Amino acid sequence: MAFLPVPLRDLPREINRRIRNSRAWKSFFRSGYPDNRKDQAQIVIGNVFLHLHPVKVPTNAIRITYTYCLGGISFLLFLILTITGVLLMFYYVPSVERAYNDIQALSTTVAFGQLMRNLHRWAAHGMVLSVFLHMMRVFYTGAYKPPREFNWVIGVTLLFVTFGMSYTGYLLPWDQLGIWAITIGLGFAGYTPFFGEQAKQLIFGALEINQDSLLRFYVLHVIGLPLVAAVLMSVHFWRIRRDGGISTPL
Amino acid sequence: MAEEAGSLEERKVKTLSLVRGEEAKPPPGAPIQKFMVWPYLLAIEFLAAVICTIGLLIFSVLRNAPLKELANPDMTPNPSKAPWYLVGLQELLLHMDPFLAALLLPGLAFALLAIIPYIDFETKESGRWFASPNGVKITIFSAVYTTLILVAFILVDSQIGGVPGTAGGLRQLLKTWGVPDIVGSWILPVAIMLGLSALLILIVRLRWQANLREIVIALFTGFVVVYFLTALVGFLFRGPNQALFLPWDMPHGYDPLSEF
Repeated sequence: MAFLPVPLRDLPREINRRIRNSRAWKSFFRSGYPDNRKDQAQIVIGNVFLHLHPVKVPTNAIRITYTYCLGGISFLLFLILTITGVLLMFYYVPSVERAYNDIQALSTTVAFGQLMRNLHRWAAHGMVLSVFLHMMRVFYTGAYKPPREFNWVIGVTLLFVTFGMSYTGYLLPWDQLGIWAITIGLGFAGYTPFFGEQAKQLIFGALEINQDSLLRFYVLHVIGLPLVAAVLMSVHFWRIRRDGGISTPL
Repeated sequence: MAEEAGSLEERKVKTLSLVRGEEAKPPPGAPIQKFMVWPYLLAIEFLAAVICTIGLLIFSVLRNAPLKELANPDMTPNPSKAPWYLVGLQELLLHMDPFLAALLLPGLAFALLAIIPYIDFETKESGRWFASPNGVKITIFSAVYTTLILVAFILVDSQIGGVPGTAGGLRQLLKTWGVPDIVGSWILPVAIMLGLSALLILIVRLRWQANLREIVIALFTGFVVVYFLTALVGFLFRGPNQALFLPWDMPHGYDPLSEF
């Protein structure tokens, strides 16, 4: 037993201590578990993911019945959609010859393909709902009032972009459900006075839903609209802080 | 001496606020209770994320995303519907001019939503659910008012006129009477929508002496109810030829839930 530096029963604690004192660990975690106020403040300021938050928040921020976490849930669903969406992109080609077969293959030949697709679909519906409910929460608590007017406008725009992200995704399986739902939207665009055909061309890339529309919706779905949403979300989150944090009764 | 004057000043402020019927507030600059983000807020956020993720995972295991037959541009399914969050527009389309229903109203809805903070900017009531006890009553009243009227209109519009069950009966009825189509597709729908909104404002003004914030609450509630109710009717109750059916009693074995 002499080759062990400590008795056997102290070994786990010793390993733990050495790991925590190692150069690699210390470069990764600047301090130990934040069990005191100073470290707790330090980690919220110092961590890139946590620094979205202030160090301290008023009661409203931790009262679940005030926010119902709806904005956070919308963001969580956006992240889940990004991850599952990237995985789905590995198996999907936006061509009318391949798209439908690719989606079918997800449930037959791709490991966890069906689950990824289900997660993506249900998270998308969930995000439309949670963004809308978030808007209702902000409205009914009067949280849009000065100085938060412009952040409300950004939020309404984000609702619109969320509709767009969900809607463009609807066509991609290239099945009867998607193509005809999008055809209804094509009809809507056609009601534009004087510029009906131009509106159809602009949004759908064609006068009827075809390969051009599929490609257009694919590009908007996987990069165009998510990019817009990401930029708007950054501004949205940033402005919450700049406008004085979460709304509170005055 | 100075302290006494201060407390006198404070009492004055308190008395004045009581006279004005306002709640006595802590003086400005008084510390409000705050909580450390770590651990209080982060624990809540983490739990919410875990619960949502697990819920989503369970739902995804239990229910598969729909996939119908390969797209066929030559075969229109009957009914064919927009996704649930836009199907309300299809419902509007049945009752009025397509430009009004599909473009003008949704465009106007987004524009009006966006400018809410520039109409109602009184900050006194921010940060509190429904602003006031009256706000709760006004929200409930507006929701019931909108629900009853909307359901009644959809039912009436589907029963009168041409074939019972099909929508747009009112327009067809007017057409058979020789009234120009612009009345049924534009003038009447706009008049009904504006009239009912004005009536709602009038009722909450008279019944609850609603202020601007409470009027905006009434109108917003009306909008939300219309949005969800038209989506629900369009998604669950519209069958072939956009006629009204019970969701479990659709003809030709059409199952609206299979499209969700």
